[in-house]
Amino acid sequence: MSDNPAIANGEVLIRVENLCKSFGDHVVLNDISMEIRKGEVISVIGPSGCGKSTFIRSLNLLEEPTGGSIFFEGEDITERGVDIRKVREKIGMVFQQFNLFDNMTVKKNIMLAPSKLGVLTRPEAEKKAIELLEMVGLSDKADQYPAQLSGGQKQRVAIARSLAMNPDVMLFDEPTSALDPEMVGEVLNIMKELAKKGMTMVVVTHEMGFAREVSTRAIFIDEGNIQEDNTPEVVFTNPKNERLREFLKSVL
Amino acid sequence: MKKCKKIPAVMLAGAALMGLFTTAVSAASGEEGNLQPEIVQRLYDNFVKDDRWKYLLEGLGNTALITFFAMIIGIVIGFMLAIIRVAHDKNGSVPVLNLIAKLYITIIRGTPVMIQLLIIYFVIFAAVDIDKVLVAIIAFGVNSAAYVSEVVRSGIMSIDNGQFEAGKSLGLGFPTIMIHIILPQAFKNILPALGNEFISLLKETSISGYIGLMDLTRGGDYIRSVTYEAFLPLIAVALIYLIIVVLLSAGVSWLERRLKKNER
Ligand SMILES: Nc1ncnc2c1ncn2[C@@H]1O[C@H](COP(=O)(O)OP(=O)(O)O)[C@@H](O)[C@H]1O
Ligand SMILES: [Mg+2]
Repeated sequence: MSDNPAIANGEVLIRVENLCKSFGDHVVLNDISMEIRKGEVISVIGPSGCGKSTFIRSLNLLEEPTGGSIFFEGEDITERGVDIRKVREKIGMVFQQFNLFDNMTVKKNIMLAPSKLGVLTRPEAEKKAIELLEMVGLSDKADQYPAQLSGGQKQRVAIARSLAMNPDVMLFDEPTSALDPEMVGEVLNIMKELAKKGMTMVVVTHEMGFAREVSTRAIFIDEGNIQEDNTPEVVFTNPKNERLREFLKSVL
Repeated sequence: MKKCKKIPAVMLAGAALMGLFTTAVSAASGEEGNLQPEIVQRLYDNFVKDDRWKYLLEGLGNTALITFFAMIIGIVIGFMLAIIRVAHDKNGSVPVLNLIAKLYITIIRGTPVMIQLLIIYFVIFAAVDIDKVLVAIIAFGVNSAAYVSEVVRSGIMSIDNGQFEAGKSLGLGFPTIMIHIILPQAFKNILPALGNEFISLLKETSISGYIGLMDLTRGGDYIRSVTYEAFLPLIAVALIYLIIVVLLSAGVSWLERRLKKNER
């Protein structure tokens, strides 16, 4: 895909080679190959059930691929004997359902991983948590429990929690799909800021406005593979794939 | 609502028990001649004469000892079994340990606790001179563990998988996820079921007499065998069990309310 104008010249962070994933007889991903470079903000779009989640969850092996390889910073993480936990420390993930730890305060949610994994001491982790909460505009919620927050606030905390590990790339699986419409903006704004700061991001989204405006590259998945991979400009205004045209018609 | 039901129950049982004993004691001092003399005499014979109440006290002590330490063994082994089984179901790890755990749970739950107690005493510890209370603690602990493990396992499985996944995605290992994220949440959910398990355990220890130790039931039964009176000693024993059970479940509800308040 050297002719792809969307692909930057940065260093390759993740390389996906012939990725296949089936659940039993059901083939969901069929021979996907692509690269993710440093600084890219990639939107992943496609009809419901096409495998977007399966794809993004394969990148940190929350789904075990049934074929192919995934290289993270040059290392094939699908090989036996790779300590996947070390890899996951460097790959942040934000879920549709937030998945905050319900038994901990907001601050403890953010501190847990860096302090338990020995990345930061407890006081450092606490300082970091306070900084991150400031960044997502929730300093006043530090000592509240997740149940006391709105959906948008929960998702902002979830983003802060991932950032606490200083990841090299952030994966977002429909981060705003579970939110009431009036809360979508506050989460997208945080993501925009992250993108501006140069964070490498892969975002499964139905927010076409965000995909067009913020991402450097958009990928359309259908029938188990990437059907279109280009600048958001081309993908949204001049799509070549027939199914993509239909899909865009249905969502825009 | 629950609270309203329990307090009178424990007071009623307590009052009945107090009644039994004070009447018996005052009968001994021979003051209350205007009370029905027959019942007074019976109370005196069953509980006061020859310090017979001491059989109930000693029995109660052993019952409490057996229940308490069996509970601790049940919790420790039960949680271990549950975690082994969950580790296997979620990650496919520890297949051999999982098989052993499953076998253990199947055997214990598939045979009567009475047979287990007799086997442990007459077969496993046949050749060893070992305290009978200790044998009962081991037998009931081993038995309780199987039930506790199933309670704990279902509690862990009831926690949304997203909690595990969020932990994993941060690079946390299985033990950290378990200890800091899953178990604290699961514990809150399973507390009522655990409470029930320990109430059953307390009542099940009433078969301890079969290995010849003096538990509460055996204490009452011993009095019956010397006084040839069934009603009073057995009712007294029943009331004592009832009081403990009601207090236990009140304690569990209190803990439940406290844990709920702490989090929301
Ligand atoms: N754990 C699973 N077991 C079986 N089938 C699954 C599982 N996860 C996803 N699938 C199936 O894989 C397909 C793709 O799912 P998913 O990746 O969630 O799609 P998307 O995120 O694009 O909506 C769907 O048909 C879904 O039913
Ligand atoms: Mg999805």
